[in-house]
Amino acid sequence: MTSSGQPRGSTAPSKSGTVSDAELAARCQAGDAEAFADLYRRHAGRLFALACRLAGSADVAEDLLQEIFLQVHRKLGSFKGDAAIGTWLHRLAINCCLDFVRSRRAKERKVTQTLDDASSFVPTAPRETLIARIDLERAIARLPDGYREAFVLHDVEGFDHKEVARLMGIAEGTSKSQVFKARLKLRAMLAE
Amino acid sequence: MHPSNSELNEYVEGSLSPIERQTIQQHVEACAACRSLVVDLQELRRVAATLEAREPPPAVWSRIEAAVQREPSSLARPRLPEPSRPTFARQPPAVDASDENRSPNETYRPYTLWWLSAAAAVLLAAVLIVRTGYFWPGRAAPSTAADETPTAQSIEAELALAEQHYQKAISGLEQIATAEKGALDPGTAATLQKNLSVVDQAISESRAALRAQPDSEPAQQSLLDTFKAKVSLLQDTVALINELRNGNEAGTAQILSDLKKGK
Repeated sequence: MTSSGQPRGSTAPSKSGTVSDAELAARCQAGDAEAFADLYRRHAGRLFALACRLAGSADVAEDLLQEIFLQVHRKLGSFKGDAAIGTWLHRLAINCCLDFVRSRRAKERKVTQTLDDASSFVPTAPRETLIARIDLERAIARLPDGYREAFVLHDVEGFDHKEVARLMGIAEGTSKSQVFKARLKLRAMLAE
Repeated sequence: MHPSNSELNEYVEGSLSPIERQTIQQHVEACAACRSLVVDLQELRRVAATLEAREPPPAVWSRIEAAVQREPSSLARPRLPEPSRPTFARQPPAVDASDENRSPNETYRPYTLWWLSAAAAVLLAAVLIVRTGYFWPGRAAPSTAADETPTAQSIEAELALAEQHYQKAISGLEQIATAEKGALDPGTAATLQKNLSVVDQAISESRAALRAQPDSEPAQQSLLDTFKAKVSLLQDTVALINELRNGNEAGTAQILSDLKKGK
């Protein structure tokens, strides 16, 4: 995916059937409430999954999804169609989720460790089974803030480190180190 | 000696130079611990990239729907009035508790802004018709094979549809601009009227050119461009009225400056 800067992801089925995203966006902008519901049906699954992973909690993700679609509703008038509506929604959702995570982190006064590049890893025992998606989802939810966002944006959503750094407001090298740290932690968790 | 974390990370991501990669590759092949780590990390990346969407509980949509209904500028507002219904009236938006402390101007403003958004949407629709349809000869064809070769009739129909969308936006914006003209000082109103006259003249000339050469792509584009210019000018006019109402001097000055430059 990421060479074009477009996030990966699938499109959920929609009642709107063959209506294109662009047409749906235009109908939403014209005040068509049914089109707005269709837009939700089409994109909610992907954005909810994104919110679950970035926030690390399905309960929080429900609130985030509500906030995301309220923002969509408020900002649709400014959508110019320069990008696909799915891309626009995805960016808006990421920003909304990251704002929440930053705010939560500030409240909790958590400091995310940076990767000590000079340290060497401690190999864990090789796993004998392939990673199950559900296990990975649970492990992602247990990652510390910072690691989790970087990992989700890079390895799940498919953004490159430069873009992850821009979205998170960190250095590109920090993105690399946080993603790597996240992978190491996930590996350890999955081996438990 | 094991490679550093940074080197292993870049090896897994495939971002090392060929020489560096070969060096790490040799180590990984010889070192069971590193090989195990690399295999696991690659597997993690592979599975992470295949994680799926998750359907939210139905209650979430209910909450969103309810919250949207409470929004001051709701998408559930009436659709754009049809051109055949010149009944555009300054109906105030639905008032809820949060509206109680607003001044009359503030109550009116969201509706005006909604109209600006709606006009932009109509403009978008017109642009989509031109861009996604088979309006221009040689453009990418839509899905069915029967549509691959645009006929003169189909081009004419597409143009008429695009024109209809522009006229719809123009009609609504003109009604606002006319109704609210009193908010403008005479000099500004004269400048706007002059600019509108220039655009209207350009529309007339473009129509004439298109009548003379119905198949001319530049003539077709010229007509659409002049419609677009009129929508843009009217949008600026309504935006100017809003800025004046809000007492935003900087915004007012910027729009006036652009209008005087003929932007």
